[in-house]
Amino acid sequence: MASKEVGLNAEDSYGASSIKVLEGLEAVRLRPAMYIGSTGEIGLHHLVYEVVDNSVDEALAGYADEINVTIHIDNSVTVQDNGRGIPVEIKEEFGISAAEIVLTKLHAGGKFDSSTYKVSGGLHGVGVSCVNALSDKFELEIWRDGYTWEQEYSKGIPLAPLKRTGRAARKRGTKITFKPDATIMDATEFNFDTLAQRLRELAFLNKGLKITITDERLEPVKQHEFFYGGGIGEFIRLLNKGKSVLHEKPIHFEGERTLPNGGVLTMDVAFQYNDTYGETVFSFANNINTVDGGTHLSGFRSALTRTINNSAKNAGLFKDQKENLSGEDVREGLTAVVSVKLPQPQFEGQTKGKLNSDVGGLVVEFINERLGEYFDKNPAVMKKIVSKAIDAARAREAARKARDLTRRKGALDSGGLPGKLSDCQEKDPERCELFLVEGESAGGTAKTGRDRRNQAILPLKGKILNVEKARYDKMLGHDEIRAMITAIGTGIGKDDFDIARLRYHKIIIMTDADVDGSHIRTLLLTFFFRHMQELIARGHVFVAQPPLYRIKKGKSEKYIKNDSEFTREILRRATDNLVVEYGVNGAGPGGRLEGADLRAFLNQLDEMQQIFRKVERRVRDGRVVEVLSSARYQIDSKADFTEIENLRPLVDELQQLRVEPELRQDEEHSSWYIAFRDALHGERLIGWELASSPEYRRLRVLAKATAPFNRAPFTVARNGTRNGINSWRELLNHVKSEGMRDVNVQRYKGLGEMNSNQLWDTTMNAETRTLLKVDLKDMVETDEIFSTLMGENVENRRRFIEENALDVRNLDV
Amino acid sequence: MKCPICNKPVEMDDPYMPFCSERCKLIDLGNWASEKYVISMPIDPEASADTEKEDDEESR
Repeated sequence: MASKEVGLNAEDSYGASSIKVLEGLEAVRLRPAMYIGSTGEIGLHHLVYEVVDNSVDEALAGYADEINVTIHIDNSVTVQDNGRGIPVEIKEEFGISAAEIVLTKLHAGGKFDSSTYKVSGGLHGVGVSCVNALSDKFELEIWRDGYTWEQEYSKGIPLAPLKRTGRAARKRGTKITFKPDATIMDATEFNFDTLAQRLRELAFLNKGLKITITDERLEPVKQHEFFYGGGIGEFIRLLNKGKSVLHEKPIHFEGERTLPNGGVLTMDVAFQYNDTYGETVFSFANNINTVDGGTHLSGFRSALTRTINNSAKNAGLFKDQKENLSGEDVREGLTAVVSVKLPQPQFEGQTKGKLNSDVGGLVVEFINERLGEYFDKNPAVMKKIVSKAIDAARAREAARKARDLTRRKGALDSGGLPGKLSDCQEKDPERCELFLVEGESAGGTAKTGRDRRNQAILPLKGKILNVEKARYDKMLGHDEIRAMITAIGTGIGKDDFDIARLRYHKIIIMTDADVDGSHIRTLLLTFFFRHMQELIARGHVFVAQPPLYRIKKGKSEKYIKNDSEFTREILRRATDNLVVEYGVNGAGPGGRLEGADLRAFLNQLDEMQQIFRKVERRVRDGRVVEVLSSARYQIDSKADFTEIENLRPLVDELQQLRVEPELRQDEEHSSWYIAFRDALHGERLIGWELASSPEYRRLRVLAKATAPFNRAPFTVARNGTRNGINSWRELLNHVKSEGMRDVNVQRYKGLGEMNSNQLWDTTMNAETRTLLKVDLKDMVETDEIFSTLMGENVENRRRFIEENALDVRNLDV
Repeated sequence: MKCPICNKPVEMDDPYMPFCSERCKLIDLGNWASEKYVISMPIDPEASADTEKEDDEESR
């Protein structure tokens, strides 16, 4: 074909030479999809890109800095640049103008002379001749060397040779207007947004190039202008818009390296991290969006991973030297644009989605060097990126372990139940109960005592570690959790949890009534709340109430659930035939109490004694608390502390204790407070904060309620015996010991101290037991308790345990 | 309430409550699986003194 074209005369051979060429373009018209992808939307817009790419090539070569795209009312499009203008001279061997060759010869577009452009894009490299072939009307206007040149085509056929039509002064450039041929193209309506998006992308990728798009079909005319001095750095900002970013400025590197073949590789890479977990990466080679990546992208990725690992190691950010961040870890939250430009790029795949040219090594080298430098100069940014990646690694590790927790051991024992489970006979979940029992021995007792028809037992032991370090460390072992999940049957996690597979409608936590027991219970409840919340929401989770005491007198025995009930019971027994006289010394009218009034009084004293201890923990001096529990003073609420007169008599009394009380103004609350010295000479305050605490307020309420009768000395009369008593504490102790006389009290430290019959009677028998149903609302608090117990803050944890040591039952739901 | 893993605020009706996200929930599950949750309790001399006192009461 080429040989026939050679030697034709320029003047009169126009027709002859163009016949061959037209045969080429006829192929485009016959099979358009082969050249532009499709005759639909995508292909239609592709036509514009082909023309624009020619102009971008001029910009890349440094001769153009503005491209204007206009959509006209008839859906024809004009693309105009301010480049050198397509060459207009007659090519001897073809006998036609260079411009006409570009527009009529396939694969000729600007690249017939390899020195014209160092770098050239073009989506398919088919060139602008395809656009010409598929256009009903195609007008060319060139401003070059001071003249204007024009030519018109229809369906790829020139209506006349290129003609000089006038003077152009200093104007330069090329203007192409084309209207796609509706007999070939199925889609003929251009979409402004589609074009604008690609043009904006081109503007980002070619820093300093101004691209405008105008839509004349609209009234008023719509116009966008894209110009980015910051190039792809601005692209990154746009991609991260509305997200919260780890570092304010995108990291942006530009540079050049010489390729082995002597060509120049231009690299333009920008990235920024945001706080999401996804990765947004765009890669381009010669402005073509390489959707499947390629050597440039993989080079960037491996350099990123390597440099981040190196910098983290050098800065000592890994706890363990063997620690290593994977590529996946460092790409969480990454937004990046990698753009390279090089001569004759090699692509893979029909859509040119993947760059194949051997540039990976150069990209790695470039990024390692520049990013290493950047991290040295910006250690704060590096640390943020590394800690984000470490978090990602942790999450991945956690996910792996979590999967391990729920994975069935092997296909053979699918549905296999844990060996430690003593299941029940009943198969209807609605009637089944699962007891999670603390400890193997209590588990054994429960197994003997249960109703095996519908009660299943799973013994759990909280591992105890570290006893030698003067503390107990309790936790639920991996196997315990696993056994529990398997027994319950619902599975766990977003995809696996299925309430329909629940094997027991009552899951009952049965633990010892001691600190250890409450810790195991807290662990279990927290686990359910966090990972099997629906069980709680649907009311399937319960806490058993084993007794804390057994009181036995003769043949009658009574089980008591907690300390306050125990005290009430003892006081009830003691006051059966007891009379207490108060104010016996004759200062004011005395009186006597018995029966229900006496019981109420004593119960209040008992509560006061406990509250007293709590206030004492704050104030650190029992004598001061004694003064504070005097009903004489008006110091019940925060408001009382705003009146200085309320505090003066208190100061006088504290003075006598030699605690150096001082009355001071509390400016923050416009009130007053008393400062004094405790036994260790530490300063303690009686004021706003103390008055805000619930224990202090309760103490004041109790002090006032008991005041009418709380007047020592007392006389206790019983069965004709009379005893004189000097304080309310003594009174309380005396009555309690009276109540314990002749009764046998057993305090259960653990479930194991009960035999199977007792455990059945008191705790497991549905007829007689009490169960506490666990409520979601209560769980919020339990979770907080758990978090405090788990927390990094050792001081908080110590204080929490101290403050709650005596109120273990408060951990109850 | 706060997400137990990252401390971000969480509302009662958030889908992953008490966690802020599925991811934090997964990290938490991983913590359970790798036995990271340990309740520490000092062996307090005072506490054991209390226990002795109760022992006395019991024997009475």
